[in-house]
Amino acid sequence: MAHSLSDECTPLKREYDSCFNAWFEGYLEPAVNATTPEQRLKYSQDKAAEYERNCGKIWNQYRECVQKAVKDKGLDVLLEQARAENPLKEPPPATPVDKNPA
Amino acid sequence: MHYFSQLFNYEHPWSHVVIGMWHKYPNPHCSHVVTVDVLDRSVDPQTGIIRTERVLGCKQKAPIWIVKLFGGSEDAFVREISFINPATQDATITSVNLSLSQFATCYENIRYSPAPNGTTTFVQTAEIQARMALWRSAADRLENWLVQRFEQNAQLGKMGFTDVLRSMWEAKDGQHAHSFHS
Repeated sequence: MAHSLSDECTPLKREYDSCFNAWFEGYLEPAVNATTPEQRLKYSQDKAAEYERNCGKIWNQYRECVQKAVKDKGLDVLLEQARAENPLKEPPPATPVDKNPA
Repeated sequence: MHYFSQLFNYEHPWSHVVIGMWHKYPNPHCSHVVTVDVLDRSVDPQTGIIRTERVLGCKQKAPIWIVKLFGGSEDAFVREISFINPATQDATITSVNLSLSQFATCYENIRYSPAPNGTTTFVQTAEIQARMALWRSAADRLENWLVQRFEQNAQLGKMGFTDVLRSMWEAKDGQHAHSFHS
């Protein structure tokens, strides 16, 4: 696993990444294979709650650490500008080249 | 504006590629990426879409003229937003540079989608653009500064040469003027 931008946060980051990866690897295949909208909704709700239960605590600790590191490096201002310019709250639309893979 | 794009297939199913996304770094082939941090992540309980905002720290030696002109350093940071939609089997990653972003933007889009025979199509596009408005205002400021310096120097030159002429010729010309008048 890569380092955090602050050495202080690296142990928290690694613990969080491991937690997320373990959750995600169990999440993905059944999420892809869900057949009905009801099934998908139920699965998404259950899994979102499970993620919060499993990784919520370590995530809060890691986030607190990394937010401070971002500020210390002066990246907070640049990030705010980038977010204002392009919030990216929705996935970008598919372009023609995406839709017609060779 | 410069464009870049490439498209190819990975010989792995979509889910494996998407799981692998989180294990890409550190990577000896991409040793310029040294830090990766998650800044924000959400799992949508309605759609199952996962949105992740990360900041990647890169070390890449910039050419000396770039460092001199823009004051950049070896450390550069990139903001990256990804969406993973299991329902449509769509994964997108959008990245933009944070460092030197006041001068130019490098805007990259990556998309992973399922392809026949258990493979995955990778499409990457990038737009690299200098911020022209800024260049224009910088050029204006540079011109103004040059004009001021020129005016100052012209003024100083006039004063300087006046002094030289005076000290060289004043006595003599004064005498000459005197003798001429007498």
